Amino acid sequence: MGLALVKEQSDVAKPSGAQPLPVLQLVGVRKTFGDFAAVERIDLDIVEGEFLTIVGPSGSGKTTLLRMLAGMEAPSEGNITLRGELINDVPANKRPTCLVFQSLALFPHKTVGENIEFPLKVKNIAPAKRKERALELLRMLRLPESYYGKNVMKCSGGEKQRVALARAFAYDPDVLFFDEPLSALDYKLKKVLEKELKDLHKETGKTFIYITHSLEEAMVMSDRIGVMRAGRLVQVGTPEEIYSRPADRFVSEFVGEVNVIEAVKSSAGEWVAAEGGAPIKLKLPSALTDATKVAVVVRPEFLRFVDKPGAADNAMNGTIYNEYSLGSRIQYQVRVGDKTLLVELSRGNGWKGTLDTPVLVGWDATDAIVVAA
Amino acid sequence: MDMEKRRSGLFIGLWTGFVVLMIYLPIACGALAGLSRGRYFGFPVKEYSGEWWQRTIDSFEIATIVQNSLLIAGIVTVISVVIAFFGALAFARYEWKGRKLYQKLLLLPIFFPQPVLGLALLLWFNSLGLAPSWQTAAVAHLVWIVPVVTLVIAIQVYSFDPVLEDAASDLGASRLFILREITLPILWPGIWSGALFAFLLSWGNFPLSLYTAGADSTVPKWLYSKMVAGYTPMVPALGTMSTLAAATVLLLGGLAMMLIRRRAAE
Repeated sequence: MGLALVKEQSDVAKPSGAQPLPVLQLVGVRKTFGDFAAVERIDLDIVEGEFLTIVGPSGSGKTTLLRMLAGMEAPSEGNITLRGELINDVPANKRPTCLVFQSLALFPHKTVGENIEFPLKVKNIAPAKRKERALELLRMLRLPESYYGKNVMKCSGGEKQRVALARAFAYDPDVLFFDEPLSALDYKLKKVLEKELKDLHKETGKTFIYITHSLEEAMVMSDRIGVMRAGRLVQVGTPEEIYSRPADRFVSEFVGEVNVIEAVKSSAGEWVAAEGGAPIKLKLPSALTDATKVAVVVRPEFLRFVDKPGAADNAMNGTIYNEYSLGSRIQYQVRVGDKTLLVELSRGNGWKGTLDTPVLVGWDATDAIVVAA
Repeated sequence: MDMEKRRSGLFIGLWTGFVVLMIYLPIACGALAGLSRGRYFGFPVKEYSGEWWQRTIDSFEIATIVQNSLLIAGIVTVISVVIAFFGALAFARYEWKGRKLYQKLLLLPIFFPQPVLGLALLLWFNSLGLAPSWQTAAVAHLVWIVPVVTLVIAIQVYSFDPVLEDAASDLGASRLFILREITLPILWPGIWSGALFAFLLSWGNFPLSLYTAGADSTVPKWLYSKMVAGYTPMVPALGTMSTLAAATVLLLGGLAMMLIRRRAAE
């Protein structure tokens, strides 16, 4: 395996000071099919040159949103503008945007070269020029030039991805859309292509809008992530923001395995764990709403085993039920009353005791995220 | 184990040979009858001769009916493929209100007994004041053949991924460009098979032609009338020629398909 380049999270996405004109702008966009609203009133500015990923479980409306942006569906309400121009009813073939389909939609009766040249043929560009450009794109996508005449159906999964990308770049769109094109690939190849895609984004400077159900994929590539649920855009932010400051319980659970502890406000104005056996007084981060019931989200890596109650802001009594090895880390399942908490420690700091022994699980208020219950 | 395998192989071979013999022996007999010198159909053939073949080729009457059959089959092929292509798209590609009903209505003429269909069409032509001729026969053939060809092409359309059209459109292509560059080339094999079916079904059709061709004769109609009264060895001779011609058309069609596929594979 080559070097895994770990890139610094760029902060391109945060426009500050001189507000650049968004390349795509959605205002109150809604799409209904009969009585069913697939997309509910979305407002979103997409910044020129950013890598935006829309994440959501299946049925969350992300594909419908993408089809509207690409021009394959018209919104039922609201406006979509491209560089200030209303494009609600502009068909896909008249938009300077291009979609890389989930199935890739390579033309099976054409060669690799003919596939890449297709948008150039549409524009009536001379065959010699077309070929020159196709070869250039093959090089850019690290495919051998000999692939020009190859039957596209004989290419491997990863090669097909690259051909589809080359064809999209041949169209020279302002905005590229991706509809989970990596979902059918095996894990290892997916990881390689995710990084390649991000490199291509940097290389070409084009705006990328990517749709996926995998937040992991989104985290690796995106400048900004939008989380969708039931047709709504629940939160838009940098990967860092989504991870550390999820807007609600849904987003926090979507990001990965989390512990969710429900808490209620007692008559004395103190927060008490609502479940998990005997009521435990909780110390929570200050910025709280005037709600009387909240969900406290703590990631497994912020929980630890403590010797005495005072060693952490909050401590709960439980028993270790089981342990799971995650490679460099070990995860413990701890039963607290009828509730299960996950504790994750690095291998070196692992628990030395045996299973089924009573333990004290502790966490600090600053590591907890409080969201509406 | 090896013995068993060899024995089962032997049985499969024997059975296959038997079935092929049963199918082709009558055809071979018919072909031989056309090569007999005698005037009457009989076995074994006492003396062989190419006389009846020669007479068949020279006959003005037969030239006319072959011409009729070719003309009808040609026209039916062209018209039915055009109608069936769009019909197949409606059948298998697009979701529209009434599609289910259309799919069922389309199948009905195929199940309708052809002699009854022929008679019904004849009555219909009469009430419209159209004199039956080879033209009305072509119309009658279309009524039965278009649904068949639609089904043949629809099978190909079902395997066509409509996303390809979306993708082409997204890359800037117009509808006409997409039809020319994507839809038609991918559906070519189905269209070819449809055309072959149309030609052969029209060429060999007897019941519809019997009722609707009027005074004009076609190959199957002539064969039948000569079998009923006035048998001559020109009947098996023409039958053999017709079979050979159909086989040639099939071979050419297969060859064309192979060439298309090879070009696509390159």
